[in-house]
Amino acid sequence: MANELAQDQSGGSPRRPNPGPAAAAIEVEDLRKSYGATEALKGISFQVEPGEIQALLGGNGCGKSTTIKILAGVVGGDAGRIRVGEKEIDARHVAPSQARALGLRFVHQQPAVFPMQSVAENIALGYEFPRGPLGTIRWRQVRKRAQEIADRFELDLDVTQPTATLRPANQAMVAIVRALQDLDELHRAVLVLDEPTAALPNEEVSTLLDAVKKYASQGLAVLFVTHRLEEVLEIAHSATVMRDGLITSVLGQDEITHDSLVEGIVGSTVDRTRSRQNRASLEGEPLVSVKGISGGRLSDVSFELRKGEIVGIAGLLGSGRSSLLRTLFGLTPWSEGEVVLDGESVRFGGPKEAIRSGIAYVPEDRAKDAVFNRMSVNENISMVTTGEYWRAGWMRGREEKRDTQGLMERFGIKAPGDAAAIGALSGGNQQKVMIVRWIRKPLKLLLLDEPTQGVDVGARTEIFDAINQAAAEGTSVLMVSSEYEELTLVCSRILVMRGGRLVSEVLDPSSDVLELERAVHRKGEGDEATND
Amino acid sequence: MRHRLVEIGEAYALVGLIGVMALFFSIYGPTADLFPTTSNLKVLVAQQAVIAVVAMAALVPLIAGEWELSVGANAGLSSIFVASALSGGMPVPLAIGVGLGIGLAVGVFNALIVTTLRVEAVIPTLGTATILTGIVTAKTGGLAIVSDIPTSVTDFGSGTWAGIPRTAVTMVAVALLVYYLLAYTPLGRYLYALGSNRSAATLVGINLRWTLFSSFVIAGVLAGFAGALQVARAGGGNPGVGESFTLPALAAAFLSAASIKPGRYNVGGTLVAIFFLAVLNNGLNLAGAPNYVSDLVNGSALIVGIGLSAVLGRRRATA
Repeated sequence: MANELAQDQSGGSPRRPNPGPAAAAIEVEDLRKSYGATEALKGISFQVEPGEIQALLGGNGCGKSTTIKILAGVVGGDAGRIRVGEKEIDARHVAPSQARALGLRFVHQQPAVFPMQSVAENIALGYEFPRGPLGTIRWRQVRKRAQEIADRFELDLDVTQPTATLRPANQAMVAIVRALQDLDELHRAVLVLDEPTAALPNEEVSTLLDAVKKYASQGLAVLFVTHRLEEVLEIAHSATVMRDGLITSVLGQDEITHDSLVEGIVGSTVDRTRSRQNRASLEGEPLVSVKGISGGRLSDVSFELRKGEIVGIAGLLGSGRSSLLRTLFGLTPWSEGEVVLDGESVRFGGPKEAIRSGIAYVPEDRAKDAVFNRMSVNENISMVTTGEYWRAGWMRGREEKRDTQGLMERFGIKAPGDAAAIGALSGGNQQKVMIVRWIRKPLKLLLLDEPTQGVDVGARTEIFDAINQAAAEGTSVLMVSSEYEELTLVCSRILVMRGGRLVSEVLDPSSDVLELERAVHRKGEGDEATND
Repeated sequence: MRHRLVEIGEAYALVGLIGVMALFFSIYGPTADLFPTTSNLKVLVAQQAVIAVVAMAALVPLIAGEWELSVGANAGLSSIFVASALSGGMPVPLAIGVGLGIGLAVGVFNALIVTTLRVEAVIPTLGTATILTGIVTAKTGGLAIVSDIPTSVTDFGSGTWAGIPRTAVTMVAVALLVYYLLAYTPLGRYLYALGSNRSAATLVGINLRWTLFSSFVIAGVLAGFAGALQVARAGGGNPGVGESFTLPALAAAFLSAASIKPGRYNVGGTLVAIFFLAVLNNGLNLAGAPNYVSDLVNGSALIVGIGLSAVLGRRRATA
């Protein structure tokens, strides 16, 4: 039932099952967008009615961010129409001011409030500061107006407070109210919330959701982007689910269930041509034992890795999956528990010590934490091993170059040459350099955080090959990924994290991606500790 | 990928420009008789030796992403104390040791501030520079120290080896040393890594604090040595000299990214930039341009230098 509209390549418009009598607050028709050869949006259509809270869901790279960027006028679409009320605009060139004039309002993931400034200043910053004859700001008027707005939106707070002193939900509310402040008629407006709860602790989420419900009941149309399925179940009147640039299902309120959402997000077209690591072949003692470590976001995490085993970690943003990797790499200390590496209890004061013990870490944000920009492929690939070329007071440059060229060939790194700037390489080839930098010498434990993020499909396979090579040489691999299909293709088993705990373990990942997705989203014990 | 010839052209554009300027000043009426003479060229080269060593001092922390503004003042302080020690009868090697020691102490001071407080160097080293200038004035009362400098020292400063000024030979030796440090030691590689991405540097196990610390200590010692060399060049210690070093030295360090290895601060580029500025200033001076013109030239060079290094660096990031 839910999936009947899936895979509509023609770009037809899946409609809501029961379009209400009222005219749509916003109607998007046949929206298309390509980035180079990648089609991010293959023609999607949807509408939101006044007073409706519509959830927009989908995995990474499904196209929902692109959709929102086009609506906000941040990027131009390739084709499509956007109708707001009676006005229709061409999706190819939406100006941000135009979107605003039409009554479209956006609040993004990290509520962009200025923490050191008062609520009144934050609100005025989204609109204007009333000025006196000499151009000086009339502060009394700023405060008065801000208080009126806060009252109108039933935000119970003192607008002279610094925003940082508000509870997190209220800070997010200030961002929402700031976006809505100049709208006199909510039923003519559309609020787009882009993962508004991602940065909020669990106990704050319901406060925010209640407010959103309240505004919707006054006629505001809300397009609500989220990863948290419980929120969709709680507040959405309808759900639009995207995958690979298409809308895969459009669900009415009574059709929204965990399973129908997950099915829409994951789909069922999984290519299972790759051979996964055979778990039975991994004999012997565990190489890595993590025994009940707690601290930071982690609480009581225990697991073991065998030599050469590739284990996946699945979990939502803020579930503690990245924290676990960072903790094992010595970046954040743990307060309780023990880590045993190759028979020895270890504790690291920093990455340097972790590296010395044979641990490597490939961070999630390649540009920010891994790539040495303006330096060559050669320098990037030998950054960890530089010291080994330093013999008798001299860097063995020729030897280094030869090794680099060998590695480039072995791992299929495509570059104009070893002296080319790293920035000249494609994302996938840069990522290969980041991984090969470590696996070129024997390791005990390789920690990978989203190793295929921003990498095209072809390079993905080569990255998996590189990871498999490392594992075949006896390195244990712990790999975090939001792409569950990917985990099921590479890992011998998958640990599921939620709220800083390991909540389950999928021993036979080949069975079902849906099963894994359900495990990640399932509400259960461990959730109360979520303080993302 | 751009054509190889274009790359070479870019790397040596400034060198070519020096040649063009030299040629111009050799045939341009007002300077044709003065510029291409051996004595003028000797002075030109010898004069740049000290500034070049100061520029090397600024270069090392600059590569790691830190702007060291006290290298000029440090060299000035060192020159005063070396001159004073020499005129007090201290043996030459010991006096040079005094200069190096002062440079080292200032370098450690800067290094401690930057690594323990974890601040960017630009403002604290401006503070250091001001403090050092104050110490110089306190020590000299604003008067130059020129008496009783041993002739062995002044001979070194004005003499030549095979027609090449000895100070220039010294400069080349220092440049080779710094080149070795940057290109043939892991420390050099780590300095570039710090200048590129500190977060990534930490995550590949580079010791951030130690690397930064070293860069300031090296800068300090080089500046101290530049001070001793200045005494030999000038035959004494002049309290105003430190300030006059700062700007051209920094300008040359920034401009170094515009030649030899475009997009990257480097030793060869620093020397090219030094002589680019020297030929330009020297020619203008001989042509009868007023003294303030050199300020205009050096100031512009600093702006052009930082602009070019930013633009070329960005391009190197993607091409």
